[in-house]
Amino acid sequence: MWEQIRINKRNSVLLLAGMGIFLLSLGFILGAAIGGPESGWVGLMVASAVWLILMLISFTNGDQILLASSRAVPVTPDVHPQLFNIVEEMTIAASLPKMPKIYIINDPAPNAFATGRSPETASVAVTAGLLARLNRDELQGVIAHEISHIVHRDILYVTLAGVMLGSIVLLSQVFLRGLYYSSIGGRRYSSEGRGRDGGAQAIFFILAIILSILAPLFAQLFYFALSRRREYLADAGAVRLTRYPEGLASALEKIANTSVSMQAANAVTAPMYIANPFRGRNAAHLFSTHPPIEERIRILRRMSQGVSYRDYEESYRAVTRRTGIIPPSAVKDEPIPPRSPSASTPQAPVPTDSARVNRQIGDLMRKVNGFVFLPCSCGITMKIPPNFPAPKAQCPRCGQIVSIRR
Amino acid sequence: MDCAICRNPMITLELDNVETDYCLACRGIWLDSGELEQLLGDSGKAQEVLRSFQPAEGVQEKLRRCPICGKKMEKVLVGPESSSVLLDRCRKGHGLWFDRGELEAVLQMGRFDSQKKIPSFLGKMFNKPETNPNPTPS
Repeated sequence: MWEQIRINKRNSVLLLAGMGIFLLSLGFILGAAIGGPESGWVGLMVASAVWLILMLISFTNGDQILLASSRAVPVTPDVHPQLFNIVEEMTIAASLPKMPKIYIINDPAPNAFATGRSPETASVAVTAGLLARLNRDELQGVIAHEISHIVHRDILYVTLAGVMLGSIVLLSQVFLRGLYYSSIGGRRYSSEGRGRDGGAQAIFFILAIILSILAPLFAQLFYFALSRRREYLADAGAVRLTRYPEGLASALEKIANTSVSMQAANAVTAPMYIANPFRGRNAAHLFSTHPPIEERIRILRRMSQGVSYRDYEESYRAVTRRTGIIPPSAVKDEPIPPRSPSASTPQAPVPTDSARVNRQIGDLMRKVNGFVFLPCSCGITMKIPPNFPAPKAQCPRCGQIVSIRR
Repeated sequence: MDCAICRNPMITLELDNVETDYCLACRGIWLDSGELEQLLGDSGKAQEVLRSFQPAEGVQEKLRRCPICGKKMEKVLVGPESSSVLLDRCRKGHGLWFDRGELEAVLQMGRFDSQKKIPSFLGKMFNKPETNPNPTPS
């Protein structure tokens, strides 16, 4: 996998350089267009400042921006002990230097993503809908997939690309809106000759056009970044970490069979997720960033003999009739036998009817938001919001007074 | 979520996988559409029950605001004409509000929704038996 990691590191540098060249030349052209040829250098300096700031932000806070825009909340182990247990387990299996930070997204659709600059500063975010629907083996498969993204260094590239794409989309929106409003305001003066106003407007017009052409191009770049290949490789890595292909396969099946779209995802963040967060409209277009989920499931289910990269490669060939998904060095992987399903550890039943799932999601989000759960001996559970003023609550059923410990 | 009457934060109560919201300060009960769905099994039935009550005309009681959307709720008459109870219903179908004591009145009435799931659940939740002497078969 080392060449894949190297490619990802190289792509990150290329992305930063490409973005820099684009911004600097844009600054030079703008400066020259507004204030004559000698002002081009001023524009260049302004643009380098913008580039520097953008780079600093995406390096230091890029993951935070993506997490915040997905409405992900950092959680403590008591909110979902099993999730922490699995992440810890997979951290050890993948020998990451540090356990990733764990976030929960308040969304009923099942999905997950990883972000961060390096394995030391990585974060894993999962939705409440995912936690409510998956059993331990399935959740382990999903977490192993995300940990593989961290090991393969997919996260740095995706985080950088996400922040840059986001800012370009923002800039193009600003210019397009500016163009719209200036064209309304400027109409009254249009008959009185085209003076300097017209020149400035023409620049804005050109800029807006450049940006609106480039924004989708960058979007495409971002989509290539998390291309099908990266998803297949993360699947292969997940299987190797868990030694249990069926876990991830059945998790992907559950994700594919859910018809809810994610509210917290947008076009910029969509490629980060383990499965396409959108359903229905536009799904076909966005599915181009993710391999068809049915194909991924078929590859995983065919791996009954072993779980090494070589086994994934063979299964991939048999299912897709294409070759070369795994880098050549990794195909020479030692054989790893699959583990048997975890029958020894009894699993908590996972609710299947929608009412139960929805209540589980609601409970999870209450825990994330700091609610205290007080089970009363009479059988009811009181869920106390964080802004509840009194230190004690009286059970309305049996009259018992329970103290609220935070 | 804040109480429709005293604005204190409400707590959520859960019994047998069904929830309801309750104000410990003024003892008001808020049964929202999601909770009705947990009780009745699907969202269609929940909205059907909410819609089944007739709006009351010319009532002097103070209008309450929906804890979810903050809009003024409408008064609805529940039960037979002789012993009907005045409840508050969100106009957007977010849920149903019981003032203090209104639950007891509803439980005495015996007739509420077609399967009587709502009064029996709330009676169980707040440990108040249905006191209707001769329940009408539905």
